[in-house]
Amino acid sequence: MFEFAEWLGSTPLSVAIQSRLWLTPLLQTIHITMIGIVFVSMLNVALRVLGKIRTDEPLDEVWHRFAPWFWCALGVMAGTGLVLAIGEPVRQVTAMSFWIKMGLIVIGVGSALYFGRTIGAAAAAVPLVPSSRARFIAAATIVLWLAIIFFGRSIAYDVEIWESWHLA
Amino acid sequence: MDLTPLVEAAQNSALSEWMRTSLKAVAIINALHVISIVTVFGTIFIVDLRLLGYPNVKRSFLRMHHELLRWTWGAFGIAAITGVLLFMVNAVTYHRNTAFWLKMAAIVIAGINMLVFELVTAKTAPSWDKGVTPPPAARAAGALSIILWIAVIVFGRWIGFTKGYDFSIPEDVQFDFPIQ
Repeated sequence: MFEFAEWLGSTPLSVAIQSRLWLTPLLQTIHITMIGIVFVSMLNVALRVLGKIRTDEPLDEVWHRFAPWFWCALGVMAGTGLVLAIGEPVRQVTAMSFWIKMGLIVIGVGSALYFGRTIGAAAAAVPLVPSSRARFIAAATIVLWLAIIFFGRSIAYDVEIWESWHLA
Repeated sequence: MDLTPLVEAAQNSALSEWMRTSLKAVAIINALHVISIVTVFGTIFIVDLRLLGYPNVKRSFLRMHHELLRWTWGAFGIAAITGVLLFMVNAVTYHRNTAFWLKMAAIVIAGINMLVFELVTAKTAPSWDKGVTPPPAARAAGALSIILWIAVIVFGRWIGFTKGYDFSIPEDVQFDFPIQ
């Protein structure tokens, strides 16, 4: 993986990204803005499940209100993240936080896909006072996306956070 | 007003010294700062879009405003505390950083925009609470808020790339700091 990252870092595309000093801050800004939309979209759905907000709306309507924003922002986030990773591949693959973030994103996206596909049937069954299982999953979803942001930011501080667990 | 003595005192404080010498403090505080600022942006973005009439005006504005802005304020409180702590770590450097002051200016203008909205425009909200397109003043406040909070993120990110430098940095100067 390290050799691949070194090779990727020497490709013309990576060099082109590295040589444009304005590109990384611009992409990072878009990436951060998008994670805000992704996180808060999921936060709204989770808080609805917890019965904290939008209790005047059925759960499936809340999901359909936020799902397009979630998926579009996630797509832009993935695109900007990919370009950032191509621009600094060694920094990414040697960061423990990067791999944890990727693993958590797989779980977050997988659970959102599952939720979106089953929401039609599940919505009618979600009472205003949710079951403890539903509350747990909603709370876990919030924690999951908070952790994704936390580890995303921690990539820049991988040595400080992980010390000898840093992969370089 | 010369803030230099205050800024130097902040940087020379025991708390600042502890954060600088701690391996993980700055990293964790920085991550919490990002979490809180994206929550501020994301929650206020939904309220701002509703002011613009998007996606529709079916739901009560006042209800949504009440439900979401407590999260915005909670997150803003954490962003402010973590922001002050991060400032203290390198107060002298931030004090002379243009991006930092532009970020502060954007936050102040966003605050004034919000204050004017709450004290003037929101008083008329019962008449356009739902089913009606919000008045121009409300739409303007929403649009301005979106622009200003995006500006806060832009300048916030720019601080990491200009720390110790300024916007007038010559193009041939090499950036030799770690990307943060």
